[in-house]
Amino acid sequence: MSTFKHAKLANNLDIIAEVMPTSTTAAIGFMVKTGARDEEPAVSGVSHFLEHMMFKGTARRSAADINREFDSLGARNNAFTSNEVTCYWAQILPEFLPSALDVLADMMRPALRVDDFTMEKNVILEEISLYLDKPGHVLYERIMEDHFASHPLANSILGSKESIGELTQEQMRHYFDQHYGPGNMVLAAAGQINFDQLVQLAEKYCGQWPTLAVERRYPAVKPASRRHHIRDEKLKRHYLCTLCPGPSAQEMERFAAAILADVIGDHDGSRLFWSLVEPGLAEEADFSTFPHDGLGSFFGYVSCDPAKAARVEETLVKELARVRDAGVTNEEVERSKTKIATSTVMSGELPLGRMRNLCSQWIYNRQFRTLEEDLAEIEKVDAMRIGELLEQYPLSPLTITTLGPGAE
Amino acid sequence: MNQTAPMMRVDRLDNGLTLVMEHMPEVQSAAMVLAIMGGAAFDPEYGVGSGNVLSDWILRGAGGRDSRALTAALDSLGMQRSCAVDAVFLRFSASMLAKKLPDALPLVADIFQRAELPEDGFSACRDMALGQIDAIEDEPAQKLNVLLRQQHLPPPLGRPTLGIKEHLASLSAADLRLDYRRRFTPDGAILSIAGRISFDQMHDVVEKHFGSWTGSKAAMMTPGVAPGGSRHVQQETNQVQIGLAFDAVPEREPESILAMLAVNVLSGGMGARLFSEIREKQGLCYAVHAGYQSLRTQGMISGYAGTVPERAQRTLDSFVYELKRMGAGVTPDELERARIGMKSRVVMNGESSSARAAGLLHDMYHLGRPRSLDELRRRVEAPTLAEVNDYLSAHPMEQFTLVTIGPSELAVPK
Repeated sequence: MSTFKHAKLANNLDIIAEVMPTSTTAAIGFMVKTGARDEEPAVSGVSHFLEHMMFKGTARRSAADINREFDSLGARNNAFTSNEVTCYWAQILPEFLPSALDVLADMMRPALRVDDFTMEKNVILEEISLYLDKPGHVLYERIMEDHFASHPLANSILGSKESIGELTQEQMRHYFDQHYGPGNMVLAAAGQINFDQLVQLAEKYCGQWPTLAVERRYPAVKPASRRHHIRDEKLKRHYLCTLCPGPSAQEMERFAAAILADVIGDHDGSRLFWSLVEPGLAEEADFSTFPHDGLGSFFGYVSCDPAKAARVEETLVKELARVRDAGVTNEEVERSKTKIATSTVMSGELPLGRMRNLCSQWIYNRQFRTLEEDLAEIEKVDAMRIGELLEQYPLSPLTITTLGPGAE
Repeated sequence: MNQTAPMMRVDRLDNGLTLVMEHMPEVQSAAMVLAIMGGAAFDPEYGVGSGNVLSDWILRGAGGRDSRALTAALDSLGMQRSCAVDAVFLRFSASMLAKKLPDALPLVADIFQRAELPEDGFSACRDMALGQIDAIEDEPAQKLNVLLRQQHLPPPLGRPTLGIKEHLASLSAADLRLDYRRRFTPDGAILSIAGRISFDQMHDVVEKHFGSWTGSKAAMMTPGVAPGGSRHVQQETNQVQIGLAFDAVPEREPESILAMLAVNVLSGGMGARLFSEIREKQGLCYAVHAGYQSLRTQGMISGYAGTVPERAQRTLDSFVYELKRMGAGVTPDELERARIGMKSRVVMNGESSSARAAGLLHDMYHLGRPRSLDELRRRVEAPTLAEVNDYLSAHPMEQFTLVTIGPSELAVPK
């Protein structure tokens, strides 16, 4: 039976843990409430580049030291940057937790040496090139720009070759100093954890970090229907994305939204599966929720034969309209609830999954939710609740962005 | 750390199906994989991709249920599932709450023994496969993997698992139905289950629903000769895709652990050689790595790097240099870091029912018996530095197959 623990240091760093006594491993991570949406255009991509630079050394460790230390702890470790958060995590055998925290915490005060910055810039540029060879990514970036326009969620996470090329180490240092404050971060742990030891170590490694007031802007977004096609004659397939407003990470309706998205666009047995994949119109069709900080979206994705692009788009739009106008059935809702409840339980079995969940809930909502609470919320959803959700979030206005070899 | 050895059991049914199970008392889930000897290597000579089409078509109704009814039945169990082919196997993998597994197995039995294979689903499944083949053209890193296997492995083992377009275009529903009868047999098939299960209950359910399944193993053509050498594919990509492959001992040989430890020194964690020398110190790549994989009689070490065209030659030269350098051996520190990484992964995989189900299948195929977490850990602990370095000296990483995709060809380093 797991238990939730919380402590707070004097400098406002929250420490949260889910102690899972039967686990054989531990997962820990720092999540920072900063991402692409917090960037000014001149420093586009700085959060993500900074995430890389956090691994490149501190006052007492070089990049090679950090990498070798993680390896000698047998750690599975990595980091990621999104529109809204940056997370540095490690999964280790429990006896290595103190050492892993030592490295991770030290990393949170990076040296950001100019030589390392200059060299790592090449790696970022390679990463940008890597993603330019992935049509799904290219399309995702474009629809975020199309849908969110001047809202900061339109900001690219990677940045462009130009913005990264021009970025300076001073700009990165300034960004770090403005955002990486203990009150804007959380240290989370899950699995086989000794919480008292964790807090003592956090005090030792993080207690002297200076406090910092960090603000995030929440401008209004003005959703409007937009339709945009990007032609790339080198592509063999046609790729289609849709975005429309949905519940935010703070709204309880996000549970109903996850179920609605499953009914519409799960891999098997969904509305889009039956109307697009099963008859062979498309080889892939998904629909999912994107609950962000303060606002949210529903995201649709289809890939198909370019010759069928018009018919696919028409079918997709019609299916979404059908859901909006007539709702969904209780039978569909029950099936999706079963699937989502099962996947929730299964990801909750693993320390890494629980740690990520803990971080997100804390950063977005300053709360802890047990697995049982999440399952109870899922259980409450029925066709009527979905109907109420659709009144608030009627799958429109719909932005549609497409990418393919055809003219439109 | 003390860990009670997990309980495992192997039951062999009279019809050739092997059931391998592991009980994991700490989880709520159960995972299963049913693998038949029906991968791309078993596709007919002019029907490459048949297995891929079948892997979709079999889900379009089974055991008297039509497509919608079967989907509803699988969904009502909360099952996460997938069905796909690799070189040797056609596998159906699923995870769910353990209490649902006894109800899931009869549905899987229907799919593998009594698939409806409806006429109106055939063209859609074939079109899907054709679409998947086209989609690979838009994903150069995935395309590289397909081409590298084709270049390095002997036919039919190196075949593109999605298929060959011309073959799929001439496929008929009737042919494919015959193929289903030929390929979907219990002979050589493996059903692996891991999670919160009762061995006796699982055995009874499997005996009841799979016991009367009949048929002998499908034939596979005699392996030919791999093309080898190097191949460049001209394509206007943002990054040059570089893939290398060379032979290694197969998993079933005891020496295979030496190859795996060596590959972990080359490419296990962020302190490993490829990441340090090519990405960290030279900034040449974002993605650069190597890995070990094995068929039953042949092992393979493959390497990958992606780099912008202006720097691709330097990346390839550096990669080959690092491979050659392995021949001189690894240091004690490097070996210990590789070892602790591999041991940790054993423990981490041990927490996951789906990882354990895959692991049991892997062991049955390569070794004919399942290995416990304790055995897997001991296997990593046992080799000495001298043994690993002797292996590297006797198996230099120099004779490689090379495939590149990009706007211009690279010079092959000597």
